[in-house]
Amino acid sequence: MIDYSALLYDPVYAELGVDAVFVAAGTAGEAAITVIDDTRQKSLIAGSAEVRSVGPGAFARIPELARNGIARADYVDATLSFNGRAWTVRSYELRGSPNGEDFGEVRFLLKEAASTDG
Amino acid sequence: MVDVREDILARLLEVVAGIPNLRSAQRNNVDIPEDLLPAAIVFDGDEETSDATDATMRPPNRPTLVTMTPEIVIAQQADEVGSDITTLRRELIRRVLTDAELNEQIVKTGRHGNGAIRYLGCQTDVGWMRSLHGALRAQFAFKYTLKPDEL
Repeated sequence: MIDYSALLYDPVYAELGVDAVFVAAGTAGEAAITVIDDTRQKSLIAGSAEVRSVGPGAFARIPELARNGIARADYVDATLSFNGRAWTVRSYELRGSPNGEDFGEVRFLLKEAASTDG
Repeated sequence: MVDVREDILARLLEVVAGIPNLRSAQRNNVDIPEDLLPAAIVFDGDEETSDATDATMRPPNRPTLVTMTPEIVIAQQADEVGSDITTLRRELIRRVLTDAELNEQIVKTGRHGNGAIRYLGCQTDVGWMRSLHGALRAQFAFKYTLKPDEL
């Protein structure tokens, strides 16, 4: 079986990844990880108007998170800092690999840090 | 020249611009970047008359009643976007329905004439962008007298 982590994800993250700090909600422990910034243009329609902003997001490798003791239950409400900005994980989506979802990626869906649901 | 439609829309923008805590108020701008939020946009409204069913011999240049229904969009991104939108909606409705210039001088409602201003309702949308985004679309009806000889 091909090791997709070694042959695909790790080289991609070595090239495109940036240093990030992950802090689970309610803890002070920091974990240094590598993420791929996936902040995208985003707009929403309001009647005839279109409001333009960004949809912040970041990819991380699940094996790296696991090595740092970060479980799936720690994702939501964690603080993720990278590229000079701090974000709060509001949700996430799993991107499984052919080796299984535990060896794939997670795409963190982010919001501005210190933001709470309205 | 008296163009009541334009007078209504111009005054409507002034009234909307007076709502506290808005960062921008514009007319017919369809492209709003996030740094203009909270924003209000006044969109020119459609007009209707009942003249299509008027089969009388009334001369075409006689005054007729027109109802215009402009839409106002309020958009915001914030932690408490729901409360923010509710507050802005409250100010919007109160200010439009009670504005003396709109009621007494332009539309001429109540004892000032046979015009009318009505709040028709609103629709809301929410979604995630940099933070929680909310938008409200509110419609008003303005009934006024169109006098072709004064245009």
